[in-house]
Amino acid sequence: MQKTPETIVRLHHISKYFPGVLANDKVDFDLRKGEIHTLLGENGAGKSTLMNILDGLYQPDEGEIYINGRRVRLHTPIDAMRNGIGMIHQHFMLVETLTVLENVILGIKSEPFYINKKQTAARILEISDRYNFGIDPSLKIWQLSVGEQQKVEIIKTLFRGAHILILDEPTAVLTPQEADAFFEILEQMTGEGKSIIFISHKLNEVMKISDRITVMRKGKVIGTVNKEDTSEENLAEMMVGRKVLFSLDRKPMQRGEEALKLENVQAYNDKGIKALKGVSLSIRGGEIFGIAGVSGNGQRILSDAIAGLRPVSGGKIYLKGKDITGLSPREITRLGLCYVPPDRLKMGLVPNLSSVENAILRCYTRPPVCQSCFINYAKATHYAEKLIEEYDIMVPRRDAPVKLLSGGNMQKLLFAREVSEQPEVLVAVHPTRGLDIGATEFIRKELVKQRNNGVAVLLISEDLDEIFMLSDRIGVIFEGEILDVMDIEEADFEKVGLLMAGLKEKLPNMEEATPAARQA
Amino acid sequence: MGLIAGGIAIIFTRTNPLTVYHAILVGAFGSTYNFSETLVAAIPLILISAGLLLAFKMKFWNIGAYGQYIIGAMCSSYIALHVSQQSSSVLVLSLMVLAGLIGGAVWATISALLKLFWEVNEVISTLLLNYIALYILDFFMHGPWRDPASHGFPLSKPFPACAQLPILLHRTRIHLGLVFGVIATIVIYILIKKTRFGYENEVIGENPTAAKYAGINVFRNTLIAAGISGGLAGLAGMAQVSGIIHMIQMEINADYGYTAIIVSWLGALNPIASFFVAIILGGLEAGGYQIQMTMNVPFGIVGVIESSILFALLGGELFKTHKLVLRRKKSHRQIQ
Repeated sequence: MQKTPETIVRLHHISKYFPGVLANDKVDFDLRKGEIHTLLGENGAGKSTLMNILDGLYQPDEGEIYINGRRVRLHTPIDAMRNGIGMIHQHFMLVETLTVLENVILGIKSEPFYINKKQTAARILEISDRYNFGIDPSLKIWQLSVGEQQKVEIIKTLFRGAHILILDEPTAVLTPQEADAFFEILEQMTGEGKSIIFISHKLNEVMKISDRITVMRKGKVIGTVNKEDTSEENLAEMMVGRKVLFSLDRKPMQRGEEALKLENVQAYNDKGIKALKGVSLSIRGGEIFGIAGVSGNGQRILSDAIAGLRPVSGGKIYLKGKDITGLSPREITRLGLCYVPPDRLKMGLVPNLSSVENAILRCYTRPPVCQSCFINYAKATHYAEKLIEEYDIMVPRRDAPVKLLSGGNMQKLLFAREVSEQPEVLVAVHPTRGLDIGATEFIRKELVKQRNNGVAVLLISEDLDEIFMLSDRIGVIFEGEILDVMDIEEADFEKVGLLMAGLKEKLPNMEEATPAARQA
Repeated sequence: MGLIAGGIAIIFTRTNPLTVYHAILVGAFGSTYNFSETLVAAIPLILISAGLLLAFKMKFWNIGAYGQYIIGAMCSSYIALHVSQQSSSVLVLSLMVLAGLIGGAVWATISALLKLFWEVNEVISTLLLNYIALYILDFFMHGPWRDPASHGFPLSKPFPACAQLPILLHRTRIHLGLVFGVIATIVIYILIKKTRFGYENEVIGENPTAAKYAGINVFRNTLIAAGISGGLAGLAGMAQVSGIIHMIQMEINADYGYTAIIVSWLGALNPIASFFVAIILGGLEAGGYQIQMTMNVPFGIVGVIESSILFALLGGELFKTHKLVLRRKKSHRQIQ
């Protein structure tokens, strides 16, 4: 930190109870003017609860909030806004069918009934230009990329006069280069005297941009440190409460036979736009093939197409040499392909059903769980208990709906269910997204274990660290095409990052013709 | 809550709500005969709600039991009106049951197909099919099926004895339909709780994407669930014309199709619970006729009470999951 630090936000002894959980336990936190203060912690550590209290969404059960030394009570986000606090949520709060302008003024009470669009647009443009956002206020939200939508969220908060910004995992949707540009914007903002609370669990970027870091674990503040006085390892240890192994038990690759092969696969997305423009891949048993890419470049369409959940408009998919193009999801599963989908709650699990009912979602069609057309719930419970024990899944009660489980335990259950089918090909999409360090470690280890056992693993992830840590080969997807495939030894962040942005021509010694590089 | 709201409505009829409720209770459960009438009214409710809850469980919002009931009643009436007096009763009734089931099932399947092929909202299609069913009935009752001896009333010829469901209990109107109801309840219970179909049904209802992902045949399951729910509504229609009315006419109490929606929700989509709820609401119907006759309170009040109970239930659901916090307005302001 430079200058004389002036504290503008102080949270004193904040406690928040939820039924059965103490989400925040006498938390103290302070933010100085013009600093970037990172709030670091695993999922469920209480970061979001604390920030939601500061944003007026939750009321603390105990403790006080001081802004500029004055005690305030924040009952709604509007109260928070009046005090200059604006939060940018991880999931954007934007109305897709409205324009940027309409989204920005949405919910502002002081806005007159008759909206002077010209004047408002000028104000938006002014903010946009100041930070080089290049946002056109008249565009509809759905026309914008995720990165641009994030900028709209920022404009929205600045428009309302916020000088204290809370950013909840803002880089999750960005490429490394976009993230760097984003950090520059943040620095520009702090230079102008704005203060930023940055929520993250990515240690490398935390170390890159923070002035100070507060680590939370299980509702308590473990400590606040200056960036200069700490290291990634140190932070990880504070966060988890024990030493974290960053390495995995990777045996040398035993590359087996070709297990999954895609030949020029094409498919359309829900809007009827061609989202896969001819993807060809070949994955062998015993290797992890990582697909890196910014979200929305066809990853989901690709995995759904392979699993038989989305019709393929062209090309062929082979599983162990057998043509599975156009087969039903169940037939493909029977042939030995399992799928850990990107959305646990939307696709992989049935939130309102119990862990038992979710555990048998794959195997309920065959004995012992299924006997002719009846389901033997005793056997099903037995089966589920086996999985729960084997994978150390924390379940409150067997008959409690799975939506009550933590994200990590949900994913473990889902993963256990899929792997128990003993697949030959495992397609895992964002397998650790939103999980805490412990569960992430567990899932990654399991993925490597599958690979060591000879399973062909197709790993699709937006987390580059994960791709680099696990993959044997890396393919980069951009706008529905695999731009390049490389062995892990010859891959580096810079190269993959550029490919993720579609900038193939910027790479040195690239002889092929450039693809549609629209995003530049 | 629902009873209080109903009571307020009763006050408008210038009678004491408590006396009315008392009268309904007596009318429903006061004597053996009254109770038998309660069961008579409960039979169609049991049958229809058993089917509806299966469809509701998979979130196929079939509100067309009204129309399926009519079509079921008409299909079985077709058989009843075209057999000779001397036919075998078992054969005729079996055919009528079958006709009722198939008629109702087909009617519901139309909506299911519309939904599956063109994503037509089933709430709208089932509802509109109700009117179509009603007008088809209207056509037949004023046309081909009208009994020339009915002096212009839209009534058919009475069904021959072999086309009438046997009475179970002497000197009551309780007919074989009650047995159908019990069987339907048990079958639906097993279907939901024990079978693969029931499991798939629930997964589809709770998360259709996960169902597709797990390889469940959503198309087939939707058709079956819609078919069963429509079939049972059709069977209820058959039971009513064959067991109670003994002819087909314009007024065949198809409103049971709507009341049964309330039954299955009050029964929390559980077949056993719905069975008993059907008897309670059957009592309300039977008692309602009593108060209309003895106290000059309109029968419509029964509908008001039923709906009020449903609203109270749906409203109550909210408080099961949310805590009510009363806060003084003043604390909304900041403390300076």
